[in-house]
Amino acid sequence: MLGVLSRRLGLTLGMLFGLVVITFLITNVAPADPAALAAGPDATPDMVATIRHEYGLDKPLPIQFLRYVGDLARGRLGHSVVTGHAVTTDLARFLPASLELVLLAMVFAVVVGVPVGMAAAVRRNRAFDHLVRILAVSGMALPEFWVGLLLLLVFSGWLGWLPTGGQLSVATAPPAPITGMVLLDALLEGRFAVFAEALRHAILPAFVLSLPALAAVVRVNRAEMIEVLQSDYVTAARAHGVAPSRIVGVLALKNAMLPTLAMIGLRFGWMLGSTVLVETVFDWPGIGLYAVDSAVAGDFKPVMGATLAIGVLFMLANLLVDIAYGWLDPRVRTASS
Amino acid sequence: MSGIALRTRSPRRLRFLVWIFARNPSTLLGLLLVAAFLVLAAFGWLIVPDPRDATGAMHLASKLLPPSASHWFGTDEMGDDIFTRVVMGTRTSLWVGLTITVIAALVGTPLGVAAGYFGGRTRAVIMRITDVFLCVPGLVLALAIVAALGPGILHGVVALAIVWWPGYVRLIEAKALTLRAEPFVEAARTMGASDARILATHILPNCVSPLVIKASMDMGLAILAAASLGFIGLGAKPPAPEWGAMIATARSYMPEYWWYSFFPGLFIFLTVLGFNLFGDGLRDILDPRSARG
Amino acid sequence: MRRRDLLLTGSAAMIGLRPRPAAAFVREGDRKTLVFSGNQPVPVLDPHVKYDYSTRMMQQSIYDALAKYVDNPARVIPWLAKNWETSADGLTWTFHLVETAKFHNGDPVDAEAVRYSFERGLKLNKGVAWMLKDDLDPSGIVAVDAHTVRMQLRRVFPGFLSFVPWWFIVNPKQVTAHQANDDYGQQWLAVNEAGSGPFSIRRWDPQAVMDLAAVADYWKGWPEGEQKRPGGVIYRVIREPAPRKAALQRGEVDMVTDMTPQDYDQLAKTAGIKVSSNPGMTPFTIMLNTQHGPTSDVNFRKALAYATDYNAFLQIENGAARLLDSPIPAGMFGHIAVPDMPRQDVAKALEYLAKTQWPKGGVTLEYAYVAGLEVERQIGLAMLNALQKLDITVNVTAVPWPTLVARGLKAETAPAMIAVYVTPVSTDPDVVASQYTSSAAGSYWGMHHLQDPELDKMVAAARIEPDQAKRKTQYAAIQDRIVADQPAIFGMVEDRRWAMRDYVQGFDFCPVRLTGEVDFYPMWIAAS
Repeated sequence: MLGVLSRRLGLTLGMLFGLVVITFLITNVAPADPAALAAGPDATPDMVATIRHEYGLDKPLPIQFLRYVGDLARGRLGHSVVTGHAVTTDLARFLPASLELVLLAMVFAVVVGVPVGMAAAVRRNRAFDHLVRILAVSGMALPEFWVGLLLLLVFSGWLGWLPTGGQLSVATAPPAPITGMVLLDALLEGRFAVFAEALRHAILPAFVLSLPALAAVVRVNRAEMIEVLQSDYVTAARAHGVAPSRIVGVLALKNAMLPTLAMIGLRFGWMLGSTVLVETVFDWPGIGLYAVDSAVAGDFKPVMGATLAIGVLFMLANLLVDIAYGWLDPRVRTASS
Repeated sequence: MSGIALRTRSPRRLRFLVWIFARNPSTLLGLLLVAAFLVLAAFGWLIVPDPRDATGAMHLASKLLPPSASHWFGTDEMGDDIFTRVVMGTRTSLWVGLTITVIAALVGTPLGVAAGYFGGRTRAVIMRITDVFLCVPGLVLALAIVAALGPGILHGVVALAIVWWPGYVRLIEAKALTLRAEPFVEAARTMGASDARILATHILPNCVSPLVIKASMDMGLAILAAASLGFIGLGAKPPAPEWGAMIATARSYMPEYWWYSFFPGLFIFLTVLGFNLFGDGLRDILDPRSARG
Repeated sequence: MRRRDLLLTGSAAMIGLRPRPAAAFVREGDRKTLVFSGNQPVPVLDPHVKYDYSTRMMQQSIYDALAKYVDNPARVIPWLAKNWETSADGLTWTFHLVETAKFHNGDPVDAEAVRYSFERGLKLNKGVAWMLKDDLDPSGIVAVDAHTVRMQLRRVFPGFLSFVPWWFIVNPKQVTAHQANDDYGQQWLAVNEAGSGPFSIRRWDPQAVMDLAAVADYWKGWPEGEQKRPGGVIYRVIREPAPRKAALQRGEVDMVTDMTPQDYDQLAKTAGIKVSSNPGMTPFTIMLNTQHGPTSDVNFRKALAYATDYNAFLQIENGAARLLDSPIPAGMFGHIAVPDMPRQDVAKALEYLAKTQWPKGGVTLEYAYVAGLEVERQIGLAMLNALQKLDITVNVTAVPWPTLVARGLKAETAPAMIAVYVTPVSTDPDVVASQYTSSAAGSYWGMHHLQDPELDKMVAAARIEPDQAKRKTQYAAIQDRIVADQPAIFGMVEDRRWAMRDYVQGFDFCPVRLTGEVDFYPMWIAAS
């Protein structure tokens, strides 16, 4: 076990290094003038020349790379022209908001996806199943930003039930930033009205974010459920007159939980990437919107900072899923034999 | 489609095809959608009222009209017919999707074959590099690359191709690895066939099916990714009728002029769905042994 | 075909649907808070460093000046200075300050604060400095006593008073306390305040929410009375017009600007919302880079001006605009309708084009506009369409305002065409005429970088001409000359519009306020 763990950890560190190399290449090799990019859109030609010299962009690449790594190690990710703050400050501020959405989306995908997948398997090849399968396939094909806009149109524009965007309404003072996640902070402070309002704002973006994961969870649970229903154990139990619902409820759930959780864990990273789209539609102040606003404004450092942050979290999530799967798998295998 | 050598002189093959489509109506749907997409891309300019609406014509007197008999999808803020722009946008989407997929496949396949067939250090190096590209969600990496290169649809295509090729490496590497262990390959090697010959006659041809399946599904996903970049504002410049960029503009006109964002998005959805279903169906035809969900 | 019918019925049904009725305005204890929303953030608050509509809106709320602009037509009223007089030769201005004014921290607003503020503005040489730097030297400002300031001009300058309301007074004690290596406190004052105005900062997030609290004991009192005055004002940045409009319709904000013409038309018909529409004085022009690229040739610029479809501008504005017949907007002193003002004439455009290096066109020009402004974007598309006839391709790019200004400030990096609204900061024609002099290069109104020494001389002379009749003729000649130089495509003046809930009272339109800028001081919310 420990050997597997250390190997995985080593792999992850290697990939982390690789990520640093890639971001370095993008920053210093891809653009026509890396100095101009680093100086930012407001720079004058003199400032660019100064930057070029200061940052050693006139030195050979390997030396530049070492400098880059050194900066990263010291947590220096540069300055954002759009917000005026250090990129690290911005990331610390915006990342929790994105995590909030992603966690909500993950919860939703599991809480809704598991029962729906199972129900579809039970009613296999009937109307409900076909509907679910169509939705599951569509879930992967739907443009998230389009769905988001349509939902806003219906629920906010026409029905007026939900707000048009943002994390909280304009004049609500946000709760003290303990975790940075408004929902959690509001609860910690005991301000339930603020919590309810934050929830109303988070419903649509979290739902849209969850769609691909929802589709995947439904598929997995449906497949697992079908297998269980066809297994010898279940047939035998039926023959003995044991209630099918109990079989469904216990065994299938146990079998499906692991792949579901593994899938969700892997989806975490993808969802974090999708925040780029969803946060733009819903004006949600997270890392995705930060990256987009900066990219559109030609402000480069925040984009790289966000890329690194998302990449690190992505790899961490994959690592954790790998470890968890390795840990839990043997026990499940023996349990279901 | 040309990669599939289906000789219809065998009636069994034809019956097999029909059976596949009958058994799986979703595959048929996929085929129809893809066919419609290709037809629109090729001949769309013939059926639209005025193709110039897709290149900057202005009819300000008829701006923002709702869907009607003369404007099936309504008009936009410059008075251009949205149906025309959406259909003409099919062509943009086609070349975007094709370019990304082809470049990714051309780069990824040789690397995958090399990694799977030669193994050892070659494989280790290639797979490690590939893994690194897969450690950031694709859209974020593409965003970073486009941010460095500058906005524009060409840069978007380059960025997405860079994001996409690792997937092909992985797929082909796995396939090449299995193929290398096959008896007929072993036999060829013991008979003294050179690596090049084995690759050309045994490995590569057998990689074609998984490649084609993946490419078909990737077409739709690549188009979606490109549209996403367009929606953010890093895609084609106006007045190019790119679906994502159209939706981005349409946001300012929600909710009154809802048709403006509805129809381009609908086309994106149907295109991606079509390619997904079609790819699934191809898998049934070409590789029926693979597990289905 | 069934799908189409479904869509048609759907659209019909949709018209009958309205968003749910609005939530109440924000309350602050007993008092109401006015919430305003626009698309432009306020990254730098410092009144002597920069100004644009959102920035000055905040500055006017937090700071006071010696005088203030109110009303339409605009007039100057005493504010921190209760009165003033000029010497006989017109060179010396003496301001007598009110005795009751104090800064938010309690310090009195005295002559030294005024002297320091003007000195700071001149020394920093940014933002408002251009208005006075040629005529006033810091050494010419003297604090005679605690409530009297004397300013000695270098030469007679009739327009002096028209600029004074834009020079805000900061508290020298607070600023110097936060100074960091000789920067005159710029770093601190960018996100903090040292003012005496009717509002003070409660919560400051320059990119998103700026929450100002009303100063209860504001030295000048409140025009609507202590009972009705608001508890505060919030400026909320919402960058997209659609959510901003939705916020207004739902009552999440009370007043908005930066909307599309369609939005204003639709909001005017919405229950509970009123639209204030005022003939504006803000010219919209497409500045042309006179120093670099094809546009550096005046014939090329003329070709562009004659190819432009001016009618499209009016259609895009849904009729809420008037075409400019001169670089100086109608209603300003000295305005004339310039003969030969370019209007769409493709034949003439081709004639001019034939005189350039590119008689057949074949070039690509960049049209840069402020990201988020839908009207400017559409005008770009209209230009693209119009210039197709000259075989000129147009590259329409959206650029965030700060980036656009940064690029435009240097002739080498300025785009060929820049779409900009430049509001005259006073009613004196000099503020518009000097936008076309060489001293304008380096500011956002001078992104055309026009270098015409003859024009410079004409403007300098007209600026200080005391004889009104002579001045009029001088400005007529100046307008002719500017049009002949064609440093910009002169577009239109749009009606200045704001949409607000109908319980918003006290809105005072003043044409010299920048595009979306409002003065919050006299505004309040009527009880329902």
